[in-house]
Amino acid sequence: MPLYRRPGFWAGGIFAAFGIISALRITDAIGSTTGFILMVFAMLQIIPLTRASLAKQRSTGHLSPAIVRYTRRFLLASFGYMLGLGIAVTIANRVDLSGLESFLIALLPVIPVLGMIWTMARYLIEEGDEFLRHRAIMASLFGLGAVLTLGTFWGFLETFEVVPHIWAWWVFPVWAMGMGLGQCGMALADRRAGDGSGEGA
Amino acid sequence: MKNRLKVLRAERSWSQQKLAEELGVSRQSVNAIETGRYDPSLPLAFQIAEVFGLTIEEIFSRD
Repeated sequence: MPLYRRPGFWAGGIFAAFGIISALRITDAIGSTTGFILMVFAMLQIIPLTRASLAKQRSTGHLSPAIVRYTRRFLLASFGYMLGLGIAVTIANRVDLSGLESFLIALLPVIPVLGMIWTMARYLIEEGDEFLRHRAIMASLFGLGAVLTLGTFWGFLETFEVVPHIWAWWVFPVWAMGMGLGQCGMALADRRAGDGSGEGA
Repeated sequence: MKNRLKVLRAERSWSQQKLAEELGVSRQSVNAIETGRYDPSLPLAFQIAEVFGLTIEEIFSRD
Protein backbone atom coordinates (compact mmCIF):
# COMPACT_ATOMS: atom_id res chain seq x y z
CA MET A 1 0.00 0.00 0.00
CA PRO A 2 1.41 3.45 -0.91
CA LEU A 3 2.43 5.61 2.06
CA TYR A 4 -0.13 8.34 1.32
CA ARG A 5 -2.98 5.80 1.64
CA ARG A 6 -1.97 4.83 5.17
CA PRO A 7 -3.88 6.65 7.95
CA GLY A 8 -0.78 6.43 10.18
CA PHE A 9 1.21 8.51 7.67
CA TRP A 10 -1.23 11.44 7.91
CA ALA A 11 -1.73 11.08 11.67
CA GLY A 12 2.06 11.18 12.06
CA GLY A 13 2.15 14.23 9.77
CA ILE A 14 -0.35 16.08 11.97
CA PHE A 15 1.54 15.27 15.19
CA ALA A 16 4.89 16.19 13.60
CA ALA A 17 3.50 19.50 12.26
CA PHE A 18 1.95 20.35 15.64
CA GLY A 19 5.23 19.49 17.38
CA ILE A 20 7.29 21.67 15.04
CA ILE A 21 4.83 24.60 15.24
CA SER A 22 4.72 24.34 19.06
CA ALA A 23 8.52 24.32 19.22
CA LEU A 24 8.68 27.39 16.97
CA ARG A 25 6.13 29.16 19.18
CA ILE A 26 7.89 28.23 22.45
CA THR A 27 11.22 29.54 21.11
CA ASP A 28 9.45 32.70 19.83
CA ALA A 29 10.67 31.97 16.31
CA ILE A 30 7.11 32.72 15.08
CA GLY A 31 4.32 34.94 16.38
CA SER A 32 0.90 33.77 17.59
CA THR A 33 -0.86 34.76 14.32
CA THR A 34 1.69 32.88 12.18
CA GLY A 35 1.42 29.94 14.57
CA PHE A 36 -2.35 29.91 14.24
CA ILE A 37 -2.22 30.06 10.42
CA LEU A 38 0.32 27.21 10.35
CA MET A 39 -1.87 25.17 12.72
CA VAL A 40 -4.84 25.61 10.37
CA PHE A 41 -2.73 24.34 7.47
CA ALA A 42 -1.49 21.43 9.58
CA MET A 43 -5.11 20.60 10.42
CA LEU A 44 -5.90 20.30 6.70
CA GLN A 45 -4.08 16.96 6.85
CA ILE A 46 -7.22 15.68 8.59
CA ILE A 47 -8.90 15.51 5.17
CA PRO A 48 -6.48 12.94 3.65
CA LEU A 49 -6.31 11.21 7.07
CA THR A 50 -10.10 10.80 7.01
CA ARG A 51 -10.10 9.56 3.42
CA ALA A 52 -7.34 7.05 4.13
CA SER A 53 -9.12 5.85 7.31
CA LEU A 54 -12.43 5.40 5.50
CA ALA A 55 -10.73 3.52 2.65
CA LYS A 56 -9.01 1.22 5.14
CA GLN A 57 -12.23 0.59 7.06
CA ARG A 58 -14.02 -0.11 3.77
CA SER A 59 -11.36 -2.65 2.75
CA THR A 60 -11.56 -4.50 6.07
CA GLY A 61 -15.35 -4.56 6.16
CA HIS A 62 -15.69 -2.19 9.15
CA LEU A 63 -17.45 0.67 7.37
CA SER A 64 -21.09 1.47 8.00
CA PRO A 65 -23.15 4.49 6.81
CA ALA A 66 -23.20 5.73 10.43
CA ILE A 67 -19.37 5.76 10.51
CA VAL A 68 -19.29 7.84 7.31
CA ARG A 69 -21.74 10.36 8.82
CA TYR A 70 -19.80 10.38 12.11
CA THR A 71 -16.52 11.07 10.30
CA ARG A 72 -17.96 13.95 8.28
CA ARG A 73 -19.54 15.57 11.35
CA PHE A 74 -16.41 15.12 13.44
CA LEU A 75 -14.28 16.63 10.67
CA LEU A 76 -16.52 19.71 10.55
CA ALA A 77 -16.47 20.06 14.35
CA SER A 78 -12.66 19.73 14.38
CA PHE A 79 -12.28 22.59 11.92
CA GLY A 80 -14.79 24.62 13.94
CA TYR A 81 -12.74 23.93 17.06
CA MET A 82 -9.47 25.05 15.46
CA LEU A 83 -11.12 28.17 14.10
CA GLY A 84 -12.94 28.96 17.37
CA LEU A 85 -9.82 28.37 19.45
CA GLY A 86 -7.65 30.51 17.17
CA ILE A 87 -10.12 33.39 17.15
CA ALA A 88 -10.68 33.17 20.93
CA VAL A 89 -6.95 33.15 21.75
CA THR A 90 -6.23 35.97 19.29
CA ILE A 91 -8.98 38.19 20.74
CA ALA A 92 -8.10 37.36 24.36
CA ASN A 93 -4.43 38.27 23.73
CA ARG A 94 -5.23 41.60 22.11
CA VAL A 95 -8.37 42.92 23.77
CA ASP A 96 -9.04 43.67 27.44
CA LEU A 97 -12.24 41.64 27.97
CA SER A 98 -14.94 42.01 30.62
CA GLY A 99 -16.25 38.95 32.50
CA LEU A 100 -19.23 38.50 30.19
CA GLU A 101 -17.09 39.00 27.08
CA SER A 102 -14.58 36.40 28.32
CA PHE A 103 -17.49 34.01 28.91
CA LEU A 104 -18.72 34.51 25.35
CA ILE A 105 -15.21 34.15 23.91
CA ALA A 106 -14.74 30.88 25.83
CA LEU A 107 -17.83 29.55 24.04
CA LEU A 108 -16.05 29.76 20.64
CA PRO A 109 -13.98 26.58 21.13
CA VAL A 110 -16.55 25.02 23.51
CA ILE A 111 -19.44 24.92 21.01
CA PRO A 112 -17.49 22.81 18.45
CA VAL A 113 -16.42 20.46 21.30
CA LEU A 114 -20.10 20.09 22.22
CA GLY A 115 -20.59 19.33 18.51
CA MET A 116 -18.01 16.54 18.78
CA ILE A 117 -19.77 15.07 21.83
CA TRP A 118 -23.13 15.30 20.02
CA THR A 119 -21.54 13.59 17.00
CA MET A 120 -20.40 10.69 19.19
CA ALA A 121 -23.84 10.40 20.79
CA ARG A 122 -25.51 10.44 17.35
CA TYR A 123 -23.16 7.69 16.18
CA LEU A 124 -24.26 5.41 19.02
CA ILE A 125 -27.90 6.11 18.13
CA GLU A 126 -27.48 5.76 14.35
CA GLU A 127 -25.13 2.75 14.21
CA GLY A 128 -27.27 -0.16 13.06
CA ASP A 129 -24.49 -2.72 13.44
CA GLU A 130 -24.72 -3.86 17.05
CA PHE A 131 -21.16 -5.17 17.21
CA LEU A 132 -19.67 -1.88 15.97
CA ARG A 133 -21.93 -0.03 18.44
CA HIS A 134 -20.76 -2.33 21.23
CA ARG A 135 -17.13 -1.58 20.33
CA ALA A 136 -17.74 2.17 20.28
CA ILE A 137 -19.38 1.97 23.74
CA MET A 138 -16.50 -0.11 25.11
CA ALA A 139 -13.98 2.38 23.69
CA SER A 140 -15.94 5.29 25.26
CA LEU A 141 -15.88 3.51 28.62
CA PHE A 142 -12.15 2.94 28.25
CA GLY A 143 -11.72 6.67 27.59
CA LEU A 144 -13.89 7.48 30.60
CA GLY A 145 -11.77 5.17 32.75
CA ALA A 146 -8.63 6.94 31.53
CA VAL A 147 -10.08 10.39 32.38
CA LEU A 148 -11.26 9.33 35.85
CA THR A 149 -7.99 7.56 36.69
CA LEU A 150 -5.63 10.25 35.40
CA GLY A 151 -7.85 13.12 36.61
CA THR A 152 -8.18 11.76 40.16
CA PHE A 153 -4.50 10.81 40.38
CA TRP A 154 -3.34 14.15 38.99
CA GLY A 155 -5.79 16.02 41.24
CA PHE A 156 -4.32 14.53 44.41
CA LEU A 157 -0.76 15.06 43.16
CA GLU A 158 -1.76 18.67 42.58
CA THR A 159 -3.30 18.94 46.07
CA PHE A 160 0.00 17.82 47.60
CA GLU A 161 1.92 20.18 45.27
CA VAL A 162 3.81 17.41 43.47
CA VAL A 163 2.71 18.47 39.98
CA PRO A 164 1.68 21.81 38.44
CA HIS A 165 -1.96 22.77 37.83
CA ILE A 166 -3.48 21.78 34.49
CA TRP A 167 -6.63 23.19 32.92
CA ALA A 168 -9.87 21.24 33.08
CA TRP A 169 -10.43 21.35 29.29
CA TRP A 170 -7.85 18.56 29.09
CA VAL A 171 -10.61 16.09 30.06
CA PHE A 172 -11.98 15.91 26.52
CA PRO A 173 -8.65 15.28 24.71
CA VAL A 174 -7.68 12.71 27.38
CA TRP A 175 -11.06 10.97 26.99
CA ALA A 176 -10.70 10.99 23.18
CA MET A 177 -7.15 9.63 23.42
CA GLY A 178 -8.33 6.93 25.84
CA MET A 179 -11.11 6.07 23.41
CA GLY A 180 -8.59 5.81 20.57
CA LEU A 181 -6.38 3.55 22.67
CA GLY A 182 -9.39 1.40 23.47
CA GLN A 183 -10.22 1.05 19.76
CA CYS A 184 -6.56 0.20 19.03
CA GLY A 185 -6.59 -2.47 21.75
CA MET A 186 -9.75 -4.06 20.33
CA ALA A 187 -8.38 -3.89 16.77
CA LEU A 188 -5.26 -5.66 18.01
CA ALA A 189 -7.42 -8.35 19.65
CA ASP A 190 -9.31 -8.72 16.33
CA ARG A 191 -6.04 -9.17 14.49
CA ARG A 192 -4.91 -11.82 16.97
CA ALA A 193 -8.21 -13.61 16.41
CA GLY A 194 -7.50 -13.68 12.69
CA ASP A 195 -9.64 -10.71 11.62
CA GLY A 196 -8.66 -7.41 9.99
CA SER A 197 -7.11 -9.01 6.94
CA GLY A 198 -10.02 -8.13 4.70
CA GLU A 199 -10.44 -11.80 3.78
CA GLY A 200 -13.90 -13.25 3.81
CA ALA A 201 -12.77 -16.68 4.90
CA MET B 1 -21.69 -19.49 23.56
CA LYS B 2 -20.74 -21.91 20.78
CA ASN B 3 -22.06 -21.61 17.24
CA ARG B 4 -22.01 -23.43 13.92
CA LEU B 5 -21.73 -20.37 11.70
CA LYS B 6 -18.47 -21.42 10.06
CA VAL B 7 -19.82 -24.87 9.17
CA LEU B 8 -23.12 -23.47 7.91
CA ARG B 9 -21.29 -20.93 5.78
CA ALA B 10 -18.99 -23.60 4.37
CA GLU B 11 -21.99 -25.78 3.44
CA ARG B 12 -23.33 -22.92 1.35
CA SER B 13 -19.89 -21.76 0.13
CA TRP B 14 -20.57 -18.36 1.59
CA SER B 15 -17.80 -15.97 2.56
CA GLN B 16 -18.05 -13.87 5.73
CA GLN B 17 -18.71 -10.89 3.48
CA LYS B 18 -21.61 -12.67 1.79
CA LEU B 19 -23.18 -13.57 5.15
CA ALA B 20 -22.60 -10.01 6.41
CA GLU B 21 -24.45 -8.66 3.37
CA GLU B 22 -27.33 -11.09 3.96
CA LEU B 23 -27.58 -9.90 7.56
CA GLY B 24 -26.95 -6.22 6.83
CA VAL B 25 -24.00 -6.05 9.24
CA SER B 26 -20.24 -5.58 8.85
CA ARG B 27 -17.95 -8.49 7.99
CA GLN B 28 -16.15 -7.77 11.23
CA SER B 29 -19.37 -8.50 13.13
CA VAL B 30 -19.73 -11.87 11.43
CA ASN B 31 -16.12 -12.68 12.27
CA ALA B 32 -16.58 -11.64 15.92
CA ILE B 33 -19.73 -13.78 16.30
CA GLU B 34 -18.22 -16.74 14.45
CA THR B 35 -15.06 -16.76 16.60
CA GLY B 36 -17.12 -16.45 19.80
CA ARG B 37 -15.77 -12.99 20.71
CA TYR B 38 -19.25 -11.47 20.58
CA ASP B 39 -22.63 -12.96 21.42
CA PRO B 40 -25.35 -11.52 19.16
CA SER B 41 -28.52 -9.95 20.54
CA LEU B 42 -31.75 -11.96 20.31
CA PRO B 43 -33.02 -10.02 17.23
CA LEU B 44 -29.72 -10.63 15.39
CA ALA B 45 -29.70 -14.30 16.43
CA PHE B 46 -33.23 -14.65 14.99
CA GLN B 47 -32.05 -12.94 11.80
CA ILE B 48 -29.09 -15.32 11.50
CA ALA B 49 -31.42 -18.29 12.02
CA GLU B 50 -33.77 -16.94 9.35
CA VAL B 51 -30.94 -16.51 6.82
CA PHE B 52 -29.92 -20.16 7.27
CA GLY B 53 -33.52 -21.40 7.52
CA LEU B 54 -32.84 -22.96 10.91
CA THR B 55 -33.83 -22.35 14.53
CA ILE B 56 -31.57 -20.43 16.92
CA GLU B 57 -30.93 -23.63 18.90
CA GLU B 58 -29.67 -25.35 15.75
CA ILE B 59 -27.01 -22.67 15.33
CA PHE B 60 -26.12 -21.54 18.86
CA SER B 61 -25.54 -23.66 21.95
CA ARG B 62 -24.19 -23.15 25.46
CA ASP B 63 -20.46 -23.71 26.14
